[in-house]
Amino acid sequence: MITLYDFELSGNCYKLRLLMSILDLSYDIVPVDYFPGRENRADWFLRLNPFGQLPVLKDDDLVLADSGAILAYLAKKYDPSGQWFPDDPAVTAEVLRWHGVADGITGSSAAARLALSYGHDYDIPRAQREAHRIFRLMDEHLWFGEKQGRDWLCSPAHPTTADIACFPYVMLSEEGGIARQDYPALRRWTDRVRRVPGFVVMSGIFPAGRALS
Amino acid sequence: MPLSLSDPAWYPIASSDDLPFRHVYQGQLLGRELAVWRADDGNVNVWENRCLHRGVRLSIGINEGQELKCQYHGWRYANRSAGCTYIPAHPADAPARRIENRKYPVREAFGLIWSAANDDQPFAPFEGSEGHNWFALRPMPVAATPDDVVAGLMRLAPDDQPADILPNLAVKLGSAIFFVQPVDADRSVIRGLLPEKPADEITALRHYNEMLSKLRDRLERAAAKKPAPKPLEPTYEKVSVELSTMPDIAVPRGNTLNVVVKRKWQSGDGVIGFELADRDGKHLPTFQPGAHIDVHLPNGLVRQYSITNGPGDLLSYVIGVKQEGASKGGSKVLVETVREGDVLAISEPRNNFPLRRDATRTLLIAGGIGITPLLSMARFLDKSSLPYELHYFVRSGDTVAFQSELEVLHGSVDTHVGLGRELVKAKVTELLGPYQFANHVYICGPGSMLEMVQETATALGWPDEAIHFEYFQNTKPVDASSAFDVELARSAMTLHVPAGKTILETMRDNGLTVASSCEQGACGTCLTGVIEGEVDHQDVYLNKTEKASNTCIMTCVSRAKGERLVLDI
Ligand code: FES
Repeated sequence: MITLYDFELSGNCYKLRLLMSILDLSYDIVPVDYFPGRENRADWFLRLNPFGQLPVLKDDDLVLADSGAILAYLAKKYDPSGQWFPDDPAVTAEVLRWHGVADGITGSSAAARLALSYGHDYDIPRAQREAHRIFRLMDEHLWFGEKQGRDWLCSPAHPTTADIACFPYVMLSEEGGIARQDYPALRRWTDRVRRVPGFVVMSGIFPAGRALS
Repeated sequence: MPLSLSDPAWYPIASSDDLPFRHVYQGQLLGRELAVWRADDGNVNVWENRCLHRGVRLSIGINEGQELKCQYHGWRYANRSAGCTYIPAHPADAPARRIENRKYPVREAFGLIWSAANDDQPFAPFEGSEGHNWFALRPMPVAATPDDVVAGLMRLAPDDQPADILPNLAVKLGSAIFFVQPVDADRSVIRGLLPEKPADEITALRHYNEMLSKLRDRLERAAAKKPAPKPLEPTYEKVSVELSTMPDIAVPRGNTLNVVVKRKWQSGDGVIGFELADRDGKHLPTFQPGAHIDVHLPNGLVRQYSITNGPGDLLSYVIGVKQEGASKGGSKVLVETVREGDVLAISEPRNNFPLRRDATRTLLIAGGIGITPLLSMARFLDKSSLPYELHYFVRSGDTVAFQSELEVLHGSVDTHVGLGRELVKAKVTELLGPYQFANHVYICGPGSMLEMVQETATALGWPDEAIHFEYFQNTKPVDASSAFDVELARSAMTLHVPAGKTILETMRDNGLTVASSCEQGACGTCLTGVIEGEVDHQDVYLNKTEKASNTCIMTCVSRAKGERLVLDI
């Protein structure tokens, strides 16, 4: 039995809801009032994750934290196709590299969003500058990918957890005052992610239209 | 040189590759934000990046192929015209007429999409553009003024091969040309073109990308040290109050436009298809599913025909005309004397048969030629991935009109051939089923069938608001034997309507100009408000509830039950 300790408006929690929906897993949700209740600082939560961060996932007795780590766990355990977190060592390295970039996006785009919408005390211009720096690099990577017939962040011909890890805080960047106008290839990639079968929405992230059949 | 909001020059605003199908690109030119999208017919739309109604960016909208849907609130705008085709939650789900988003001129050429702030200048290819197979480089956005970017590009030239400066912020460096898109006073995009596709595309693209990235970094470092110029301040055009208020049921007759009969063909036994197009190949006005046009016939008659087109399909209207017996003067003239290449006058589309797109179940029932408005509805629902069931009753197998158009629909489409009266009724009863919340049925066909479906639906508990119908003509006998007075409240006139004359005719005899079209109580054009008096309804346009309300009248056929009527005219 899987239980997700979840805050509805958190992009990091959404990553797990997204992958579990794609993998068609059933799970329970324990809502954690991250804002305004700061329940992630409550004793009971800190016993689950001393870092005080969401999401936390419980699979029977196993307790896991960190969205990137949990994505890898879910994919390795529950994705029979092996596509979402491929075994090939070189591809694993690629995926982990983009999980790292995803953390950078959280540290910039999500930080600006937390500062603007949730009153967190972060250096907003700095966070925005850093998000733009990462988005520029991603746009370039994705633009050349399209030219070479690659639709996703990593080399396989299908999406991986890397795409899921990077997706939410790219989509939510406007809430942190970070426009995506200068990143057309990044915008096209977000359309592709939103068309993955099993895709679910969260507040601020809408589905894309149907692709031309 | 300071940038001008009204600069009429054409600038590239995107690469062709930026516009895959079903995507909405976000662009900007001279401070104006743009939503740029390619429709399924290949047409590129460049619009102001705002939903007129709520101001949300259209670039987060959904490109449905022929329409763009505002993702937050559901308003829809049609390919080509940018006309609004749908306002959610409006009682009739009908947009006010002629609400159109702001459009900008557009051209696709040399692997780039070009646009201009206004229509003052025609598009002209740049000098030396002929005879090459231009290849677009990766665009490079730069946070620096367009002038500084042009100067920076000039400095890239080696000393022995100075750069050429071209008009409209373009620079020629060797054989490559770099256009600077003036995004805003402080932002630009460099869009490069090579005269031919390079042998090794990726290597060439990487080479130029690296060169432009370095230039960008230099320009941005320099720009950070200077005071930033003030961004341009385009005014965002809001919809006028007059346009954003909801229309009355009867829309006054708009202008006529001339169209050419592009194609005329036999579509199923006894139905002739006509494709009507603008004479200059421009797009025709936006229409809604269920809308019709008035066609002015060579013999002076005016007849209504439903548009069968799908959403955003505005390069021509396709109508279907039933080849009736000799009595039907209108159709006969169209079928027998109008030929391909002839010019006809038509009205702007009007809609008396609005389609709701918030139903949980949509049932479309067509009899014979009644398929035409329902085909259009089915196409709209199809494109929006909304479920529907279309049932088409025909006399025999070869009377199916628009067969190939029906075959490509994704919804459930059933043809019922050659059923007798009783069997049709049984089938309709089964299809309707007991009424459930948010179910809607749309019926179009011969009068007897319409009445049968309405009665059946009412008997099954369907409320009037859920039963939508359109008559092609009023075949009921009109009783014009009464005589009475009409007071025209706003015109301060009292007129006597004698037996044998309609209210409409009497008003005209007395010098009033009043709109009409079918003059048989079927089209809705002559609808007038009633202030006092009891109406003797003889039309087929109003539904039972509307008739019972005694607040409106079709002056072309209906009369007074008493001695006097007061009309709001
Ligand atoms: S003119 Fe058509 S209903 Fe009166």
